[in-house]
Amino acid sequence: MKHNSSITIKGDINMGNRRGKWLSFALAGVLAFGLTACGANGGNTNGETPAAGDGNGNGAGAGDGKKVTITFQNIYPDPTDPKYKMIREIVSKYETEHPNVKIELDSLNTDQQKLKLKTQAASKEIPDITIVNPAAQMQPFVEAGLFAPLNEMVEQNGLKDTFQEGILDYYTFDGNLYALPDGNNIGVVYYNKSLFEKAGVEVPQTFEEMVEAAKTLKAAGITPIAIGEKDSWTGSFLFMNILLRTNGPGFLQSVLDGSKTFEDPAFTEAVDAFQSLVQASAFQEGATSFDYNAGENLFKTGQAAMYYMGSWATGGIETSEASKNDNIGVFKFPAVNGKGDPNEFMLAPGSGFAVSKNSEHLEETLDFLNFFMINYPIEAFKVKGAVGVAQNIDEDFAAAGYSKMAVDVLNLFKEVKGGDLSFDNTMNPGTSQIHLSSIQNLFVSKKEAADVAKEHQKAYEDNK
Amino acid sequence: MNVLKVSRWTIAAFVLPCLLIYISLVFVPILISFYSGMLDWNGIGESTFVGFDNFVKMLTSDAVFWPAVGRTFMLAGFSMLIQLPIALFVAILISRYVRKPNFLVSSYFLPVILSVVVIGQLWKTIYNPASMGGMINQLLIMIGLEEWTHSWLTEPKIAIFAIILVGLWQYLGYHVLIQFTGIQNIPADIYEAAKIDGADGFKADRYITLPMIIPIFKISVVLSFIGSLQSFDLIMVMTGGGPANATDVISSHMYKMSFLSQEYGYGSAIASFLVVVCLAATVIINFLFTRLDKKYT
Repeated sequence: MKHNSSITIKGDINMGNRRGKWLSFALAGVLAFGLTACGANGGNTNGETPAAGDGNGNGAGAGDGKKVTITFQNIYPDPTDPKYKMIREIVSKYETEHPNVKIELDSLNTDQQKLKLKTQAASKEIPDITIVNPAAQMQPFVEAGLFAPLNEMVEQNGLKDTFQEGILDYYTFDGNLYALPDGNNIGVVYYNKSLFEKAGVEVPQTFEEMVEAAKTLKAAGITPIAIGEKDSWTGSFLFMNILLRTNGPGFLQSVLDGSKTFEDPAFTEAVDAFQSLVQASAFQEGATSFDYNAGENLFKTGQAAMYYMGSWATGGIETSEASKNDNIGVFKFPAVNGKGDPNEFMLAPGSGFAVSKNSEHLEETLDFLNFFMINYPIEAFKVKGAVGVAQNIDEDFAAAGYSKMAVDVLNLFKEVKGGDLSFDNTMNPGTSQIHLSSIQNLFVSKKEAADVAKEHQKAYEDNK
Repeated sequence: MNVLKVSRWTIAAFVLPCLLIYISLVFVPILISFYSGMLDWNGIGESTFVGFDNFVKMLTSDAVFWPAVGRTFMLAGFSMLIQLPIALFVAILISRYVRKPNFLVSSYFLPVILSVVVIGQLWKTIYNPASMGGMINQLLIMIGLEEWTHSWLTEPKIAIFAIILVGLWQYLGYHVLIQFTGIQNIPADIYEAAKIDGADGFKADRYITLPMIIPIFKISVVLSFIGSLQSFDLIMVMTGGGPANATDVISSHMYKMSFLSQEYGYGSAIASFLVVVCLAATVIINFLFTRLDKKYT
């Protein structure tokens, strides 16, 4: 929009007389108003415009009877990601078996997809299949009645039994299942063996040892923990694991039930423990300006000794430079102040595939999704993307060429004894945003734990 | 005004298509935005009409809002008080001392056409801590000023200034170009006449260039002011409004409220506020310059 100005300049220069000046003022005014308007719309219309064209691509094929086009919005736009090939593989298989069906892929990266779906939802024009996050994050969509229940579909071809026990609960509301997860992950600590060795650090058995290890690593000139805190959920995910130790599972649930408040000692203890990590300079300098990828890259390129993340990061780390020669190990997040069971993990049920209730080809869409989900674990295993898939896979991972680290992560899965969901999967978006920025603040300034607790409590009550 | 000797209806017929597009793409969305500002709506499901509740909340109890407004105006202030005078000074120097100014002006202009994302990433690396290869900090260490080093983008008190500097740098060339063009359009005979009367060099600038460039300078002021009010991309790329809202401006706050907190109605209320501020600013700037203009012509 800034380029418009040249027109106005000319106008002004060429007009020496009074009338010209008036006109030029008017022009400048209009221009400014135009700019104003553009800016203001940014929040509203900008997002809505694409929805008009993209909502339903299926109108085209409806004319000639049987031809059916299903729009499949997905978050695998990266050709180097194994899932990119996998989804195309399954789609083309289905299309060969069902020549009258065409699957149109709408591939976006995660943030774009979230934004697009929200704007599409505002005009009730969501694609036939889309992606949503579990629990609290998909609740508004469910309450708006946008999704079709999958209860019957999931019984066909034994699809339901392929899923791990309990995982579907995160996508079930009032007894109706609304989405099928692409993954089920847990929060683990990855560490760089050679950097640990260089600094003379052992795998920490307690949180206190972890803080000490951070200090030792720092003294040896090594960044102890990499984090991409510009995307503030990363710090929150780590913080919530500390809270899971100091309180045990279900803290946020008890806040929601009203049996606890954020000013509970378990919460302030977690804040203090988290700050002890920050005070030990455990994170890279300037952590809050590193986005998720930049943070992870520090670890992948061997510039940081530890990395706390959901097990979905396994695939990317496996193929990274730092991982050569079996150099990366994993450990469970340790007990904090002697509290908590390391076998309780931060649980991250993956994003789920949901079907639009208003889909013009609901029947075909459900049939395709059923086919897709049954083939999903099989194809994922083939492309070595099966760590953290939400379905049971009875195969020998090591024999199939999965790395030792991947097998280690898979073994951790077997020890999971429950745990907690992330903050934004449990609380409403308003409270979550304040929580995220409150935790981000701990990275840059020291706070009284009681103040952090009050801030959370106020946010929760304001957004109830 | 009817100098073209055609009927008013003809004029109306020619103006109409544009006017309709303008109304439907500019005025209607603004009105809709005002209306959404009165809803309690998450952008997806049902909405309830809450009157001016969102506006009251925005103006009275939102801890992020006023600091964000303050930072937005700080951006505008820095832009008008530092960037524009420098740009004018550079423009005067170029037009006086440089024979073939096109190359130089284009070079100054270059950052404007670069994508903000590129610029943001570039400056992020420049601002990085020394341990991450940040240029500024390494320079400071090299010349022995180690205590001056900062983590520029992540210290809440400094971060916004670090971003402002990038904004000033990026759009300097833009305003140099505008004002340089303005100076070029001042007739040379005025300077010649002044020279005969003994006004040369900076004296000529004081009494000829400055008064005559006022209309052009006004455009720079309006553009820089409105541009600053809308600043969004640079902030999202460099800090995302963090750490802990320390670099949030009106538009980034609006974005976060609308799409991350899913308070679409509240976000629209902030958007409406931005519209009003932009309009008010335009009117005030026009008013001031009209007076200034009268004084000198």
